[in-house]
Amino acid sequence: MSATATTPEAAAQLLFQPNVQYNNARLYTVKFLSSCFSGAVAGVLGLENTLGFALFVFSTLLTSSCLYVKCKGKPAKFVPGGWWELVNPGQENMFSFVLVWTLFYGTHAPPTLFSSG
Amino acid sequence: MSSSTVSLYLDPQIRDWVLFPITVVMILVGILRHYVVLLLQSQPKKIPRHAIREQRALIRSQILRATSANSPLPPTYYKVISQHLSQAFADGTYLKDGPPKGDASSSTPPNPLTDPAAMDGMMAGMKTQMVMMVPQMVIMGWINFFFQGFVLIKLPFPLTLGFKSMLQRGVETPDMDVRWVSSLSWYFLNFFGLNGLYRLILGGENSADSSRDMATPFAAAAAATPGQAQDYNKLFKAERDNLEFSEGLHEWIANDVDTRILKKYGRLPAEAK
Repeated sequence: MSATATTPEAAAQLLFQPNVQYNNARLYTVKFLSSCFSGAVAGVLGLENTLGFALFVFSTLLTSSCLYVKCKGKPAKFVPGGWWELVNPGQENMFSFVLVWTLFYGTHAPPTLFSSG
Repeated sequence: MSSSTVSLYLDPQIRDWVLFPITVVMILVGILRHYVVLLLQSQPKKIPRHAIREQRALIRSQILRATSANSPLPPTYYKVISQHLSQAFADGTYLKDGPPKGDASSSTPPNPLTDPAAMDGMMAGMKTQMVMMVPQMVIMGWINFFFQGFVLIKLPFPLTLGFKSMLQRGVETPDMDVRWVSSLSWYFLNFFGLNGLYRLILGGENSADSSRDMATPFAAAAAATPGQAQDYNKLFKAERDNLEFSEGLHEWIANDVDTRILKKYGRLPAEAK
């Protein structure tokens, strides 16, 4: 009964639309929360520049590998677009990461030197 | 020239009284915006049954055509539905005002600017745009008035000197690192970064999302006039042609399922006819 999906339209036809929407909403939530938490971690650790962005990339990869395991290795069955949909953190989450990172970086105050000039 | 290793020590009261309040205010204003837009939306007009039937007939044939290449319907069922729809479109039985009289070809679609129903749609779109923009202006003015003249926070990443004039507005130090920014830039950071939070709290279709403001303002207005300006007779004729085309394309996915199953379970030699 399982017809092999040879074309993208045929693959999309095999997905049940309300389920796809639910999956997308959950996926978005997971990605947003992971970017917030990684921003907090980056801020608290006092990471700067490239180290901070490297943490963001690392957390994205970690999240997507967890999602991949949750999909039992077949992301095409759950979201249209395959594995790139899982990995892609989304443009908004990038900004959220920077926001939370700046917030925690500023409030945790790296070792201060009293400057007189 | 100050070295970049010397860092400023900021009063923690700045953090308490500026950083958190700006964020909290932006979150609350976003939620407020969402509910205001919800309240401002007028009830969609009720359309009479014949008009709905006309729209739905078109949608029905589009749904039928969408899966014709991999269709779950056996050929007989598909052809019956397809031909019934085709005949109905030709006769105009689904048209709002009944089958066309002799001078149907001279009917013109209603002009969107003078049609009152379409005007409502456009006004609704423009109202939401105004509601989106006004709070942003107000908050920017509030921040510029109260929170000006000091640096607020240090960015964890470097930026080029070109950003200095934008991010350090009001603080006249030519040598200070661009990483120290004023409150207005904190506002911008919040503006972009809170969208995800809104989506979490208010659900997917919230109106507090600032990424929607970037879309062309009239795209929403155009989308809100759903085919009242269209001549359904012509649409039906075009749809007839599409139906015929799809009928030729129709392929039942269970076409040779018996052979496939036998092959899968090895009862039939793989190279059989």
